[in-house]
Amino acid sequence: MGSFAIENLTFSYPGQDRKALDRLTLTVEEGEFVAICGRSGCGKSTLLRHLKTVLTPHGTREGIILYNGRPLEEADQRTQASEIGYVLQNPDNQIVTDKVWHELAFGLESLGLDSETIRRRVAEMASFFGIQDWFMRPVTELSGGQKQLLNLASVMAMQPGVLILDEPTSQLDPIAASEFLETVKKINRELGTTILVSEHRLDEIFPAADRAAVLEKGRLLCCDRPAEVGRLLREQGNGLFFAMPAPIQIYAGVDNSLPCPLTVRDGRKWLDTLFAGQAPVRSAPPAQAERRREDRVPAVEMADVWFRYEKNAPDVIRGLNLTVRAGEWMAIVGGNGTGKTTALNLMSRLSRPYRGRVKLNGKDLGKYADAELFRRNLGVLPQNPQALFVKKTVELDLMEMFSDRKMTAEEKRAKVRGMAALTEIQELLPMHPYDLSGGEQQRAALAKVLLLEPRILLLDEPTKGIDGYFKRTLAGILKRLQADGVTIVMVSHDLEFCARYADTCAMFFNGSVVTAGPARAFFAGNSFYTTAANRMARRFFPDAVTNEEVIALCNGNR
Amino acid sequence: MKDTFSSFHPAVNFLYFLAVILFSMFFLHPVFLGISLVCGTAYSIRLNGRRAVRFNLLVMLPTLLLFAVMNPVFNHEGATILVYVNDNPITAESIVYGFAAATMFVSVMIWFSCYNAVMTSDKFMDLFGRVIPALSLVLSMVLRLVPRLKAQTRVISNAQKCIGRDVSNGNVIQKAKNGMRILSILTTWALENAIETADSMKSRGYGLKGRTSFSNFRFDRRDALGMTALIALIALVLAGAAAGENNIVYFPVLAARPVTPFSLVVYGGYAGLCLLPLLFNLWEDAKWARLQSKT
Repeated sequence: MGSFAIENLTFSYPGQDRKALDRLTLTVEEGEFVAICGRSGCGKSTLLRHLKTVLTPHGTREGIILYNGRPLEEADQRTQASEIGYVLQNPDNQIVTDKVWHELAFGLESLGLDSETIRRRVAEMASFFGIQDWFMRPVTELSGGQKQLLNLASVMAMQPGVLILDEPTSQLDPIAASEFLETVKKINRELGTTILVSEHRLDEIFPAADRAAVLEKGRLLCCDRPAEVGRLLREQGNGLFFAMPAPIQIYAGVDNSLPCPLTVRDGRKWLDTLFAGQAPVRSAPPAQAERRREDRVPAVEMADVWFRYEKNAPDVIRGLNLTVRAGEWMAIVGGNGTGKTTALNLMSRLSRPYRGRVKLNGKDLGKYADAELFRRNLGVLPQNPQALFVKKTVELDLMEMFSDRKMTAEEKRAKVRGMAALTEIQELLPMHPYDLSGGEQQRAALAKVLLLEPRILLLDEPTKGIDGYFKRTLAGILKRLQADGVTIVMVSHDLEFCARYADTCAMFFNGSVVTAGPARAFFAGNSFYTTAANRMARRFFPDAVTNEEVIALCNGNR
Repeated sequence: MKDTFSSFHPAVNFLYFLAVILFSMFFLHPVFLGISLVCGTAYSIRLNGRRAVRFNLLVMLPTLLLFAVMNPVFNHEGATILVYVNDNPITAESIVYGFAAATMFVSVMIWFSCYNAVMTSDKFMDLFGRVIPALSLVLSMVLRLVPRLKAQTRVISNAQKCIGRDVSNGNVIQKAKNGMRILSILTTWALENAIETADSMKSRGYGLKGRTSFSNFRFDRRDALGMTALIALIALVLAGAAAGENNIVYFPVLAARPVTPFSLVVYGGYAGLCLLPLLFNLWEDAKWARLQSKT
């Protein structure tokens, strides 16, 4: 029980001419695992929301959706509530109650089941998901990944035949995300539940999916086996191709007739066949014009810094030494809870160390006055950009930054326009900040911070929840800033992004930096904690870290 | 330390505290007061350990003494005048009454501290969820929302601090303005994110007819036994109260009923009631020790 047939579905939001979905036809068989991909704003969410009546947005709609061979509207709410499970994007927002057990029982209570049945179903789910240890805990104590697993479990407790997931891992770090997706795969494999998942993190989902459907501007571009989809996108020269897993991209860049690899393991095999018997090529590809970093003045210096949040709590930062040179783009990477974000907070004075010194441009951080520190000096982009927006439109919001300065309206407007151009948000100015997509919000927030003209910019997870296309835009903006001499310190889980754009990388572990160095050397030196391209090709090209480098080396050495 | 009484069904817990706290409030007879104070203190120490000892010594004891001393200063009723202070009589009755009232106040406070340790929000909700199902969900949602709002306030405040707009920045007027701004952001954020919560609720069938309320607690045989003992003891104490065993007159002169065998039975019943949780604990501890010694 759980098949969909969508026929010629066309939909547009009220007051908009643009069609959010355009004559879309798609069938999903029972027990199938279908990945839906596309840029943000391509209609992924709109499509998925049409598959459950209570979530369907208002607007004009044509076409038919058949659920198990009958129109979806004919299935009553009770049936839909239990048979069609839906997991949304934000782990926190979906949780309704304060205790894990109550959350698991929530859907079953709605269905009006008696306590005995609920107890049994909840127990089954808790065991299946391995969450019995935190069964009695309050939800506030859970991590983001655990919260999303809880959301999945509480939907699965209703025993749905179809599970729809709308970008479920976009707010999770890579490790939690892959754990979550593993569970989704397990559900599909062991329970035979039909899965429809929209994702922009395709590395994990692509190899697992039976079929991948690609949406572009509300239209279905193609729907086929993942390898086929990769081939097709390459032939069309589609920008979406850059969101594909690294092995597919590398495969596509090299002229060959072997089958397309989807995972790193397959990719290594593929390279083995391609370069059988060849010795590793150590010569690094032409390095980017890296100025010697020792020549530059330090912008941020941390010396023997120790920090803990409470007097009796364990130390979070232990003897941290870190120097960021002026004009440098430094990426701080490392696992969860290793103190990355805390280090950033220490640089921005949100937290103060109990031992050691933090210096900014050679001056002790504690000696700066607020105005001196945050104007034309230090800018911080928070992880959640929504924490910055105050006004009805993006433009008003940006203007608001000048509210306490003596400037004419003209001057203000000119500055805002200039900043909008730099951050590529001109067409978003009249919109409400909350109506923007994740990537757009990020850029609007960045614009707001940049209006204070910082020379040092601190970014916390700037690529979280952003698709590949927006990442490139963001990188472009940051590169432009860097060219103007801005120093950038970024905390990130996104190794591909760090490898491609950052100058130096520092790896955090146990409260301090374990190793730091130029990005390329850093990733080439790591064996596990490195990019997919490097893991795949390191046997033959140990120094190549990005897809492009591997492709160039592949083509140059055949 | 693990408390056995806490593992009883919420109904037993609740009825117990309801009875004990009401009795402590209304029985001003010294024997009843003494029993309540001693048992309450003992149970609070059993529940909260060293923390309770410190609290009882540092807060409750001074409160008790303060109340006892303050009463004769303001209350000049009573026939037995001990001394005149500035032409105001200090009477023996008002000193005794001061002690009695202070003991009553302090023991009620201590019983409430026990109540807080035993009746967690889960239990409270479970109990009242049966009476009004919607209430338990609303309570649960509030308990979810409050920590979230607190956390988000911190996030917003930090973000604003980094653009020089936190409540800690600027002069008084700017601080107030910045505070309002943070509140405004928080409101927008809460409303915006509530949409997704609503979607999640609807998608899991909220609003369908015939919603039930799942309970984690089962009323088993032990609960029935506990409940029976509890009701029997309450009945005994109430019978005593009806017979006037708890009556005492403080003014103009102290007058209590003479102690009869029946009074002793009632005192015993009241002591049994107040000690009930500790008795359960003793019973379980002994049983545990016996089982361990056999293996």
